[in-house]
Amino acid sequence: MAGQKSSFAIGAGAGFAGDRIEPAVAMAKSGQVDAIGLECLAERTLINALKMRDANGEGGYDPRLRRRFHPLLGALGGRCRVLTNLGAANPIAAAKAARALAQEVGAPQLRIAAVVGDDVAGRIDEIAWTQPTAGGEWIGAHVYLGIEPMAEALAAGADVVITGRVADSSLFAAAPVQTLGLSGDALAGALTLGHLLECAGQLSGGNLSEPGLPDLTAADLARLGYPIGELERDGTAVIRLLDSDPGRVNAVACTLQLLYEVHDPRAYITPDAILDFSQIEFEPIGANRVRMSGARAGPAPAQLKVVGFLARRGLIADIEIGYAGTGALARAQRAADVLRVRMEAALSPADFMIDLVGVSSVLGVASQRLQADPPEVRVHISGSCTEAELAQMIEDEVYTLTIAGPAGGCSVRSERRPRIETITGFIPRERVQPRIEWEDAP
Amino acid sequence: MRVGDIAAGRAGDKGDTLDLTLVAYDEHGYETLSRYLTADQVGSVLNRVVPGPVQRYDVPRLRALKFVAPAALPGGVQASLHAGLHWQKAAIWLLLDLELE
Repeated sequence: MAGQKSSFAIGAGAGFAGDRIEPAVAMAKSGQVDAIGLECLAERTLINALKMRDANGEGGYDPRLRRRFHPLLGALGGRCRVLTNLGAANPIAAAKAARALAQEVGAPQLRIAAVVGDDVAGRIDEIAWTQPTAGGEWIGAHVYLGIEPMAEALAAGADVVITGRVADSSLFAAAPVQTLGLSGDALAGALTLGHLLECAGQLSGGNLSEPGLPDLTAADLARLGYPIGELERDGTAVIRLLDSDPGRVNAVACTLQLLYEVHDPRAYITPDAILDFSQIEFEPIGANRVRMSGARAGPAPAQLKVVGFLARRGLIADIEIGYAGTGALARAQRAADVLRVRMEAALSPADFMIDLVGVSSVLGVASQRLQADPPEVRVHISGSCTEAELAQMIEDEVYTLTIAGPAGGCSVRSERRPRIETITGFIPRERVQPRIEWEDAP
Repeated sequence: MRVGDIAAGRAGDKGDTLDLTLVAYDEHGYETLSRYLTADQVGSVLNRVVPGPVQRYDVPRLRALKFVAPAALPGGVQASLHAGLHWQKAAIWLLLDLELE
């Protein structure tokens, strides 16, 4: 109820579709959070979901729903709500599955809502795309929705809100904004906190190495605590862990996550407001406790962002072959040279990449110089193939190295990926009308 | 002295855009990074591996610098010919491993 609570605790239970299950369950059982956000929808996950929906009209949501919700729904108690985008390409089907699961785990009282309206695949022509789209086949297009439909579902009594594409910051901000009734810079505080929480463990010690501090141990990382944000009415927040959890919440961890995947820090665009991060401060106030202040909001943008997926003809073949023992590097280099000769006739130089895994496959020419010969090394080749037959030819050329290449070629692995481009577009806000579908107990 | 001796960093991506964040450990480190790591200098480092221009954004209150390369990942991470997916998460080491005078 707006106007009654003075602060709101939102936990980050997951930061991507395959993220760990336990952090959200621990938060729910702790009784210390008012809501949990589960961010489970990246570009790649949405592409997979669209393919699943194509194959089966009842599919198209994150297939991990059961694994994630089974231990969580029964642990929510009476007061902790859940917001998640694991509805992916089919939030209604996900809500139906969650409904069935709620009955199964003895939580029939839970009210479950699906937010729809993000799928704009039928309106490709109304969208201003920022890159060329000719010559590809559309797989899907989804607009990033904001807080409003989620807040509406919560206000109407939803315990679990399942969405498709919504802005990650909005997913985590919706519950505190709805409960505390925030606007202006306090809304900016909620959205900034949402942005901080959206990658879960990446705010609390994951993917973090800093000068002057030892890295977290394997034991700590194996049960890393995920962050909780306690938002005050004034838009300031305290970021913390559950007391017994290992992790690292400090100013550096917060700053890296604040600026993660941000372009202009004075104009971070969310559907609900354009945020200015330049005045943000992170003040350590205890062990693994940081106070955030200084969030500033500009207006909401007139256009909403759309992500579109365009399949280009053909596929990417990604293949490796290993070499081990004395002279492994020299033999691998010779194998790479053989492949270059064999590829010249089939592919233009821009359409393939050959390098050495363990030596130069990640940072390429900027990789550090080797200090000693590696005991093992792998040759990698990827080719952009217009036809499956070409992918087969590249795979065959790599396998041929085992009998007609340098000595000891081994451990071949190969995969094929579709050639899918992610395209950004914009659509006027007023053309997007999200709505709520309820999946009530029978 | 490496950049990584005085700063922490993280790489991210959105569509075609690669973004790199550095957070200096102290005020002196921030001044050092601000002086050495111009957009042109970082551009010349990144262009050994990825194409396109680089913009720099300063966040002095947080002792942070952002480097944004809007054309670095043509077609997005799904279209990359690198081994496996998401090589760009290691791209921050292009900056962390730079030697400062």
